[in-house]
Amino acid sequence: MQTKVAFSAKRLLLTLLLCSCSVILLQSFDLSPRAGFLFHLICIAVGLAVSFLFFIPSVVIRVRTGFDFPTLVHRESPRLSPFIAVFYGAYFVYTAVFFLLPYTDMFCKKYFPETSPCFVAALLLISCVYAAAKGTNVITRFGIFLFVFALIANVLMMGGSVSSLSFGSGVVLNGTADELFRGALYFVTPAFIAVIFGFLSGFTKNFRLRQVVLTLILTGVKYAAIMFFVCFALGAYAYRQEYQTFVLSRVAHFGIYSGIESVYLALTTMSVFLIVSLFLCCVGKSVGQSGVLKHIICFAAVIFTLHTCAVYLRPVSELLTDTAVMVGFTFIAAVVVPCAYLIFGRVRLDKKAVGA
Amino acid sequence: MITVCIIYPFPLNIQEKCSYSNIGDFMNDSLKELLSELKQTFADSADLTVRELSLRSDTGLEAAVVTMEGMCDKEQLGQTVLTPLLSFDFGRDSGEEAADAVLHSVLASSDIIEFSDEQQLISFITSGFAALVIDGCARGFAIGVQGFAFRSVSEPESEVVQRGSREGFTEPLRVNMSMLRRRIKSPDLVFEQMTVGSDSQTQLMLCYLQNKASPALLDTLRKRLSECDLETVLASGYLSDYLEDPGTSRLFSGVGISERPDTVCGKLTEGRIAVIVDGTPAVITIPHLFVEEFQGVDDYSNRTYYAAFIRVLKYIAFFASVFLPGLYTALAQFHPEYFPTWILIQTSEALSKTPLPVTLEVLMMTFVYEVMKEAGLRIPKSLGHAVSIVGALVIGESAVNAGIISASTLMVVATAAICSYVTSALYPPIMTLRFVFIIAGGLLGLWGIVLVTAVVIISMCAKTSLGVPYMSSLAPFSLRSMRDVFIRAGWKRLSDRTINVRNFPETEVR
Amino acid sequence: MIKKLSALSLILITLALVGCKDSRRIENAAVIENVSVDRGGEGILYTFYLLGSGDKPRAVSVPAASFEEACALAEEAYIPNLSLAKLELLMLSEDVYREVMRTDVEYISTQSSFSPIAYVTLCDRETIRSVEKDSEVQRLIERQLVLLKKNNPSVCVDYLSIFNNLERKGEEGFYVAQISSKKELKVSEMHIYSKNIPK
Repeated sequence: MQTKVAFSAKRLLLTLLLCSCSVILLQSFDLSPRAGFLFHLICIAVGLAVSFLFFIPSVVIRVRTGFDFPTLVHRESPRLSPFIAVFYGAYFVYTAVFFLLPYTDMFCKKYFPETSPCFVAALLLISCVYAAAKGTNVITRFGIFLFVFALIANVLMMGGSVSSLSFGSGVVLNGTADELFRGALYFVTPAFIAVIFGFLSGFTKNFRLRQVVLTLILTGVKYAAIMFFVCFALGAYAYRQEYQTFVLSRVAHFGIYSGIESVYLALTTMSVFLIVSLFLCCVGKSVGQSGVLKHIICFAAVIFTLHTCAVYLRPVSELLTDTAVMVGFTFIAAVVVPCAYLIFGRVRLDKKAVGA
Repeated sequence: MITVCIIYPFPLNIQEKCSYSNIGDFMNDSLKELLSELKQTFADSADLTVRELSLRSDTGLEAAVVTMEGMCDKEQLGQTVLTPLLSFDFGRDSGEEAADAVLHSVLASSDIIEFSDEQQLISFITSGFAALVIDGCARGFAIGVQGFAFRSVSEPESEVVQRGSREGFTEPLRVNMSMLRRRIKSPDLVFEQMTVGSDSQTQLMLCYLQNKASPALLDTLRKRLSECDLETVLASGYLSDYLEDPGTSRLFSGVGISERPDTVCGKLTEGRIAVIVDGTPAVITIPHLFVEEFQGVDDYSNRTYYAAFIRVLKYIAFFASVFLPGLYTALAQFHPEYFPTWILIQTSEALSKTPLPVTLEVLMMTFVYEVMKEAGLRIPKSLGHAVSIVGALVIGESAVNAGIISASTLMVVATAAICSYVTSALYPPIMTLRFVFIIAGGLLGLWGIVLVTAVVIISMCAKTSLGVPYMSSLAPFSLRSMRDVFIRAGWKRLSDRTINVRNFPETEVR
Repeated sequence: MIKKLSALSLILITLALVGCKDSRRIENAAVIENVSVDRGGEGILYTFYLLGSGDKPRAVSVPAASFEEACALAEEAYIPNLSLAKLELLMLSEDVYREVMRTDVEYISTQSSFSPIAYVTLCDRETIRSVEKDSEVQRLIERQLVLLKKNNPSVCVDYLSIFNNLERKGEEGFYVAQISSKKELKVSEMHIYSKNIPK
């Protein structure tokens, strides 16, 4: 196993791109149906611009010290390390459940109605523990295969929907300030990748800021493309069911050949697998390097317990899947804590000083 | 099969110390004691041949020629050793003086090695040398008169090519070495000898190009081979486990095997190391990567577009052989709506007439196929035809007609089986994964297949071969090496920038 | 190795015991290809045509007030393993489409198992009767619909477009496909007024 080999930052960001793009696969758009496509585009742009701001503290730490955030804390202020570990452990558990819940819900509603969501979550978590135990490097290599598959899947989903395109409505700029705020908040969800980047960038080499920018731009392009097809190929029908991307895959067809929702299922499963595995890696890293597998298994058990609670207790589920809570938590994890550490911890952001 | 008898042209240079119990330094023993000790060591084995000689001398010098039955060329032994020894007059020479005379004036062989202890003596005679020991002399002589029957050089059945050399490795180590040397005449080609197996004392050669192979890789390889604690090594496959990187999955092999000298030469030029084991035609090449399984000698002889087509075909066949039965099971069991309508009608009607659920049916057919394949391999050739008829007619057509299995299941299993032979080196993982995917598809549908696929990809990505990522070229992705993965670029581009295996990204040992 | 094998067998046993229970085995699934809606007796008759290779289609007729009710009744009483995932064509009789179109389309739009790209056409009674007799008629109708869509993309031939047109506000109506047996199953366009379709 190559756990100590540094890998290209490009690959980490490619994996993060997949993570951010997969968010849209599991979203049930609670956007205003009367808002047009152009309005959604503005929301996407604003949302991703805000996401970029989430990246800044991690990027500053990475560029100036060469370390990721947990390593820096561990080296510079070992006393603070347990508190940081507890906070980020909670964050990653929360975020893992945030993605796991809609996935199991979608799975049980659209594919296997009689299957228990807990069973689905358990099997997925077992697979994720295996992947997380192999390390970030290996998961990012898996990301290359997933990227190719995601490209094919998206071409199939969108290409198959071209015949259903109808531009009767949607190219309008309707929307209020409140809708803009809600829409932008909705598109800030992929900002969680900034926290992953902050945690795992220490394994990488050849990092450039433009890689982050490109990742966010490509995420925006993917969002825009999906929104385009949802608006013009599905129209009002999109809002009749949950998980609009699933509906898009259901509509996609090439002549008599349909069934592209099977590709959607595969893509979503692999994406959630990737995200949860990365979270488990981050958890392992936040807690410490020694006995990583033990920590990963413990956190997977916690995620499973929380997921089971959410399945049976509606208030828990509502709290865990609330986009605003998620964005708020991400803001604290990606911006507030690192900035507070940098400002109040008076850390010398000098590579040589830290290295010495 | 032609068998010929040849005389080894190369001197064996036994450097390793062997360790046998109850063997001592024979310099202090008399000839009689030595011979009796030797017989005791071999427990009076029938193939230990001791020819005791009374040499022509005034002092009554005694000597013995020790050989192993069937390992020496008797005619050469007579001409170069026995006749000169018996006809030479040693006069009043002592044992040591006689030994000098034997070395410089008596023996007609060009291949004589001195030795001084019993362990070396055993090594020499078991390697086909004739050992000459003289009473009262602390030295002995190993005379190269090897000659035993072995299979001649022929085309390997498992790696048949359309255009290219028809030579394949054979069992004797030295013949295999000569085949490589004939192809790479550069002095950079180095053969490094080692011995493995505490009982079998099997000789092997590390073969590499010193200007290409990484010294670090070589050190790692030497270390792993020296850690091999097997008593007997009869084939190169015995060493595979010791050469794999620790802690990595063993589903796919991180050790390449080839019976073709041209293939091995090609790999040597890319910085790989070959391990030639005496007594087996299968030569190990390491590091070994996943993409290599899809590269064939013919690719480099054919037109580039055709080579690219064959490569893509191989990848498709690999995926079909692994996924097809599992996907069919998953779709038929959980998602019939994903079948196109016309296939759905046919499959549904066919499966409704059979007694078993589709998962069991596919599992059973795959199992029956594996049994037939194994029987086909082991059965005498004269009966092979009968097995084919039984397989095709009885298990195939009759079972379908009797309604025991459906035609669609049979077709899927057969297609997967044929596809698996396109990349025959990958057959063990293909077979294993096929069963896993059938079970996953039958229990969990498409989702199960996706989940298992993710785990398998992770395991493949985590695998390394001598520190080089097993999935190199693909993951970690290397654009430079892509010209010899899915397509094969023209020779002008390939020869300009041959990619050394140590230059793959994220290689741990460079 | 022994540990790995035991873990693997444990996982396999667990999977076998608690694995996905949603097996819809192909040999048992009653896959519906087409549905026709016509007036029959006192109410509305929903006829489900099962996928098959014979010349004469296998049909099951269910009297019901709506498609939702018809599906539930059919699954409960007539076709146990009813699967509508491959529904290709919904033929609405000209006599009943005003009554059922809105509710049926509404119902289908909320069901993820239905394909929104299934064709919808209005047919006269003779056409529906000929569908019951000959499987080839269904395929002929589909072929005609494909042709119509190619020649005139503005005509709504599938669920998706009909749903979106019914939902669209401020529009008078839209064109749908109409099959007439008088013209040897030739397809033509028919303008329907949204207002005429009761909510």
